Amino acid sequence: MAISVKVMHRPEPETTSYLRAALSGMALTFKHMVNPAAVTQQYPEEQTDLSPRWRGTHRMEVHADGRPKCVACGLCPTVCPANCIRLVGGEDDQGNRYPVVYEIDEFRCIFCGMCQEVCPVEAIHVGRHFENAEYTRDRFIYDLDRLMEQDHPVTLLWDPSDPRGE
Amino acid sequence: MPVTLTIDGQEVTVPKGTTILEAAKTIGQQVPHYCYHPGMSSPAMCRLCLVEVEGAPKPMPSCVTTVMDGQVVHTQSEEATASRKAVLEFYLVNHPLDCPICDMSGECSLQDYVHEEGRDSGRSREPKRVFGRDDFGGDVLFYGDRCVMCTRCVRFMSEVEQDTRLTVVDRGNRSVIDTFFEEGLDGTNWHGNIVDICPVGALVSKDFLHKARAWDLEHTPSICTSCSQGCNIDLHTRDNLVQRLKPRENLDVNGWWMCDHGRENYEWINQGTRIEAPLVRDGNGGSKAVDWKEVLGALLEQANGAGAVKAVASPLASNEDLGALKALVEALGGGETVYRSARAEEEIVLKGFPSLARRKDLSANTTGAELMGLERAGADDATGGLADVAGHDGVLVVLGDALEDQPADFGKNAALYVFLGSHESEASANASFVLPVTTFAEQEGTFTNVAGRVQRFWPGLQAPGMARPPWLILGALVAELTEADLPRTAADAFAALASAVPAFSGLTYDDIGTRGALVNEPVQLSGD
Repeated sequence: MAISVKVMHRPEPETTSYLRAALSGMALTFKHMVNPAAVTQQYPEEQTDLSPRWRGTHRMEVHADGRPKCVACGLCPTVCPANCIRLVGGEDDQGNRYPVVYEIDEFRCIFCGMCQEVCPVEAIHVGRHFENAEYTRDRFIYDLDRLMEQDHPVTLLWDPSDPRGE
Repeated sequence: MPVTLTIDGQEVTVPKGTTILEAAKTIGQQVPHYCYHPGMSSPAMCRLCLVEVEGAPKPMPSCVTTVMDGQVVHTQSEEATASRKAVLEFYLVNHPLDCPICDMSGECSLQDYVHEEGRDSGRSREPKRVFGRDDFGGDVLFYGDRCVMCTRCVRFMSEVEQDTRLTVVDRGNRSVIDTFFEEGLDGTNWHGNIVDICPVGALVSKDFLHKARAWDLEHTPSICTSCSQGCNIDLHTRDNLVQRLKPRENLDVNGWWMCDHGRENYEWINQGTRIEAPLVRDGNGGSKAVDWKEVLGALLEQANGAGAVKAVASPLASNEDLGALKALVEALGGGETVYRSARAEEEIVLKGFPSLARRKDLSANTTGAELMGLERAGADDATGGLADVAGHDGVLVVLGDALEDQPADFGKNAALYVFLGSHESEASANASFVLPVTTFAEQEGTFTNVAGRVQRFWPGLQAPGMARPPWLILGALVAELTEADLPRTAADAFAALASAVPAFSGLTYDDIGTRGALVNEPVQLSGD
């Protein structure tokens, strides 16, 4: 098939006015300044509602006396598909097994939430929180103290009072 | 007289007097059990090995019921599995289910059997009895709540070690294992085995407590290096470190057991400051790291006409390493090779398994060294004895011996001083060539034990840096000096050894396998 060519003619500047087009454009702009049906969300002044099942930054639950609930059983580093948890177990002065080292690399983490599912003592949780920007990369490896400091709500991935989801 | 019976529809012929449990084992049918252990008597008190025997009025404990001609046994029938399920439910009435903090988790028979045959959930609503934790002395901690009262530990101490230190105290569900007064297990030499045979986490090792999870450990078959008995062991490693040693069954050598002396002696394998690259000394006391090709070339250049050879070898070196050293000494014109090994005052015999003992000689391969014509030097604590070697003015080769007791001027007069070792010491500072070698845990090889049994071990750790097995380094030198082939595998090195040393002739790696094979000559250790 032969290529068909259509020749376009630009409007001649001497004979064309752009005034109407400019005004209609500005009208749209000013309409959006006062439009009550705006869809833009004013983050960070306005926060999004996260789903109750949102899986974000980890936190470690603590006992009333400030000890971590973790017993260093080693199930979360075993189940972790991203291999982002480093755990070294030990024994504290009261003879309890506890994590001497517990680190989560939030860069490697894929936020699958399996650590929370597998935890037999409900210690490690993923939380409804996602704002964890930092100035340096090493700040993304959360150690035990940092995980215990987190206070955002935990995800409702799994309800301890209803383990089978009935 | 053989007896023929039917187990799970399969005909089995076993000698008279065999138990049903052992007969079932021969066809690969494992009946769950706690109190039964092949190395000890069976009290039939765990009641977990119940099987259905046709004609018998009730389920029979298979660990003590001997086979009869024409007997028909069902290990997986409804009656058998229902009986075992009921027994397992009773075990969990008082078991704390603290698997997350239990060191046995992952290798626990209670976990396995309940998972295979037990109930999904318990029905007991009563409070569990609590004993807490008890220090049994030695390396052993006792968690009474986890105990299933199989009494394997009590029977090990009374039947195998024959030093009754443990007993069952109290009756019924209050019964608990305990020591006599405050005596504990301190001073016994084989108590580490009760941790191995405990089917649950009631007896745990203090040394291993909370150190690693069972499923994180890699197991490598190896040989214990702490004496010349040559116990078959498994290296349990994690993060390229040995975490613990466990005995590996071999009825010809160590049965199911190993001594505490050997079990606790593993930290030296993990020592951090290793030689990682071949070093060549210049005359000014400095040294530089070079690659293997360069160092071996320079070494061969200097070896020409450097004089008579004196060599010092470690009896922790494998047969292949010692054979390659012997070949090198011969290729350089011959000389004498000595070894130094520590000796204990007396043997520590395991009374219930008398062929097993912590031998007097505290090195793994003294017999191999003797068979290759090496001569013993020095005192019984592996020091001294190198007076004429230290000032030797010809070629000096040191393999594996760290020379920690030797003075700083060791080897200063030598025309060529080659030090093959894993760690630097004062006496290695004068060596013209320092070559990094692997330890037994990082290489393949064989040891010859006190009875002349050649046994293989496998590498469980990665060697640091450029370290290579001594047989490879020495074999490469021999290949350059003579017409010999370069050994490419440990099996090649062993074949070269077998053709050179009559005691090893005819043996191959395939013959040795995982169980070991005897050398051709009767073995007599010097000094015994």
